[in-house]
Amino acid sequence: MDPVSLMLFIIAGGVLVGICVHFIPASAVGAMSASTGIATGPSMLSFGAGLTGILSASFALDSGPVAMLASGAAGSALMIVLTILGGNLVNAFGTGVPPVSGQTASGQSLLGSSTKDVITGWEQKPFVTPGTDGHGMPAQTAISGIIGGILGGVGGAMVFLGVHFLIVPISQETAAFSGMVAAGIFLINCVLPAYTLVGKTEGLFDRKMLTIPKTFLSCLIVSTFLALIIYSVSTYASMGAV
Amino acid sequence: MFQILLLGSALAGLLAFLAGIFENEDSDAGSASNPNSQVQLAPQIEHLHRYYNKAIAGEPPQNALWAALAATVAYILYTRIGLDPVPGVILGAVVGALITAILQGMYGSLAHISRIASMKNFKQMLYWDCLLSPLPLSMAYTFLTALCLTLLSFVIHGLLGSPFPVPLIAMFLGFTLGAIASSTGDVHYGAERLYQHYKFGSGIAISKQGDIDVKGEYGYRNSVDTPYFTLRFGGPVTGLTFGLLIFIDALSRISGSVWTSVILEFLIIALILIVIIFLEKYTRNRYGPFEEGK
Repeated sequence: MDPVSLMLFIIAGGVLVGICVHFIPASAVGAMSASTGIATGPSMLSFGAGLTGILSASFALDSGPVAMLASGAAGSALMIVLTILGGNLVNAFGTGVPPVSGQTASGQSLLGSSTKDVITGWEQKPFVTPGTDGHGMPAQTAISGIIGGILGGVGGAMVFLGVHFLIVPISQETAAFSGMVAAGIFLINCVLPAYTLVGKTEGLFDRKMLTIPKTFLSCLIVSTFLALIIYSVSTYASMGAV
Repeated sequence: MFQILLLGSALAGLLAFLAGIFENEDSDAGSASNPNSQVQLAPQIEHLHRYYNKAIAGEPPQNALWAALAATVAYILYTRIGLDPVPGVILGAVVGALITAILQGMYGSLAHISRIASMKNFKQMLYWDCLLSPLPLSMAYTFLTALCLTLLSFVIHGLLGSPFPVPLIAMFLGFTLGAIASSTGDVHYGAERLYQHYKFGSGIAISKQGDIDVKGEYGYRNSVDTPYFTLRFGGPVTGLTFGLLIFIDALSRISGSVWTSVILEFLIIALILIVIIFLEKYTRNRYGPFEEGK
């Protein structure tokens, strides 16, 4: 692939990473079972999933770009779905509360006034503990999390792939270097949506999905800037300037 | 080749399971993750406590740096000492984990003192025994976590054939484990252990936040008792989650074909999703809708 396409890969990957954070249900208050979502900050959780994806993608380094992207997506989605299972197990048997979506129960989600889970059709409202914003991860947020994991994994693998093939001509230790740079670009793009999500999101049906254009724009600007730096370094290094 | 991959997957799964348990107990003993907000809030509503609170960094980056430090030291020792691979890796990992534990002890002491000192306006006292009794426990858990993650990184690099160097794998795994522990096992600490004086299943309304249980089995509660409680459920669930992740990911690649691995992983994801939905149905039937006053 030519360097410009690889640079576009890094930009597209960075933007996908930013968008994936909107899909992964997470909330720090979830640690007290007081809010729907996986019990940690959305950015940190997405980064954890993304690193699993990059690690999975690295095993498929010699199998072509499509296999790498698929491998990254599978690794990230597996991490998210297992974390949702673990979180729900603790909520069910450790705390004694069923998974329920707080926003859907209060009729403030993107589903409008419906208070039912869109996948299972189960009523959410009576199961919410009063004074909380839901707890655990019901089916609709689990599906949203898997979609987020897939997007994040593909995004991380795209960045990894782009950086890897850009620096192949100039370095011996390409896998290690591109892994580190990909993780850095992933982290930057993961943290940016934190400004629009403000510590909490329920994923696909949360009203904060409407703020995706802001995330898209900020991630596009930052990823373009980062991709240009990597592109310039690799171009000048291959010319013998660095 | 097949046997090496099988051995690597089994070993990686076991090490990941143990690392998950130890990491969760370390964070619970030190109130290191999101529940630290409750420990920090308690003195502000006149609940003076004796918890050990070392939360001055997010759990994932903190754990990633401990793992990366231990793995870097281990890798340097392994390549410089010139022992056979197995004793060299084990010796290097033990020394790396020891250095990490000592550093974590220094970090934990200063973090706790500064955290408690910041609550001086609310008459929170700094009890030395509350620092000195859970500190060695927390350091021991960090030692075990760092040791398991370092060995796991060597297994993934050596037996499973990852192109990444050992310290980078350790950093990646440390971060992922921190994210998993902070979102699974810590719920058992934050929503149950800290609120044990409320009825099981009554939920933690926002208005109850900060009203943590400061009394323990023998007088005032000390953080050294926390892992005794969370080891029964929160720790094993964290270990199971991280262990399954590493084991399934490694085992799916055993055929050698990337596409077989991807298809297998997506099939397992679908299976886990079905389990999640059945679990939701089970808990809804078991606990029923919320009833006021019960």
